[in-house]
Amino acid sequence: MDRRTQWLRGVLDLCVLGALARGESYGYEIAQRLEAGGLGVIAGGTLYPALLRLERLGLVVADWRTGASGPARKYYRLSDDGAATLRSAGADWAVFVGNVNAIMEVP
Amino acid sequence: MTADDWLAALSAELRRRRIDPAGPVGEAAAHLRDGGQDPLEAFGPPAAYALAVVAGLRDATPRPRGPSGEPRLRATGITKRYGRRTVLNGVDLSVHAGEVVAMIGANGSGKSTMLRICAGLLSPDSGHVRLGGTVGYCPQNGGTSDFLTPDEHFVLVGAGRGVGRTEARARGRSMAAALDWADAPRAGQSRHLSGGTRQKLNLILGRLGDPDVLLLDEPYQGFDNGTYLDFWQQVWHWRDAGKAIVVVTHLLNELDRVDTVLDLTPGRAR
Repeated sequence: MDRRTQWLRGVLDLCVLGALARGESYGYEIAQRLEAGGLGVIAGGTLYPALLRLERLGLVVADWRTGASGPARKYYRLSDDGAATLRSAGADWAVFVGNVNAIMEVP
Repeated sequence: MTADDWLAALSAELRRRRIDPAGPVGEAAAHLRDGGQDPLEAFGPPAAYALAVVAGLRDATPRPRGPSGEPRLRATGITKRYGRRTVLNGVDLSVHAGEVVAMIGANGSGKSTMLRICAGLLSPDSGHVRLGGTVGYCPQNGGTSDFLTPDEHFVLVGAGRGVGRTEARARGRSMAAALDWADAPRAGQSRHLSGGTRQKLNLILGRLGDPDVLLLDEPYQGFDNGTYLDFWQQVWHWRDAGKAIVVVTHLLNELDRVDTVLDLTPGRAR
């Protein structure tokens, strides 16, 4: 497994919350938002189990909708808990990244 | 593998794990339509993806529960010697209604002997067994008759447990279907069955008559992986129905899900 994939594993749930902070969406589009954000291709096999976990934890809420055209899709949006988690864990992550950068800086 | 084949396989894997496939399959189908990718590339093999879905849906593995029901089987100070060799030395075991006990231990540590003593098929040299209810026993092998069909087995064993002909056949067939053996009614004499299928029959016979205590001696030998999962699903189902269950096993991956582990390896704490 390459290093990027390993990094992403630890923060994928936060990245998904971040993607949903830009507005409600369905799985395939969330994957595209993450990819456009420079995170690389997110396989469905990774994304949907993460969405199920976030839904179980109450950080996102979901409902099925049939569009005017095309198949039924499951739409996800951030819950209040999800927004709060994104704020606090996002701040923790920023501190962590700062510390990692500092320690990797060659003196 | 086409997308439809992959989705059908995922659906079967989820059903096997008692998950309603509609949601996860619908979502994966929409994703594959949108992206037009190879399902194996986007999601991996159906069985592996089903496991990931289960992990997403459930809070880790179900936590073992403490004994809740009344005691169904209590064996105290069981000692058994074969010649000079002491196989069991003062072993205690108690199993309550709604409890699953895994009996583990090295080869020759007396697991089958202990189970046979609990079933009343063998006398201990000392110690005693008290049972509160009816007992079903599934031996490691044997237990089936070569020249009888599965239906004839159901009727014969049912009769011994006070279950009528028609009902014994119906119950046997429905348990067979739950173990991925739906064509049991059309099977011939059991000598023509594969080892794994014979073992399914063996397990069903142990369950006929709905006994309160189930003693299962490595009942899944020869099962394919799918049937093995079906078997454990059945065990959890029986537990929820208040049965007291002892499973002799050497496979450790289910141990975190059982309620109690009895290790018969000499020198281990009991």
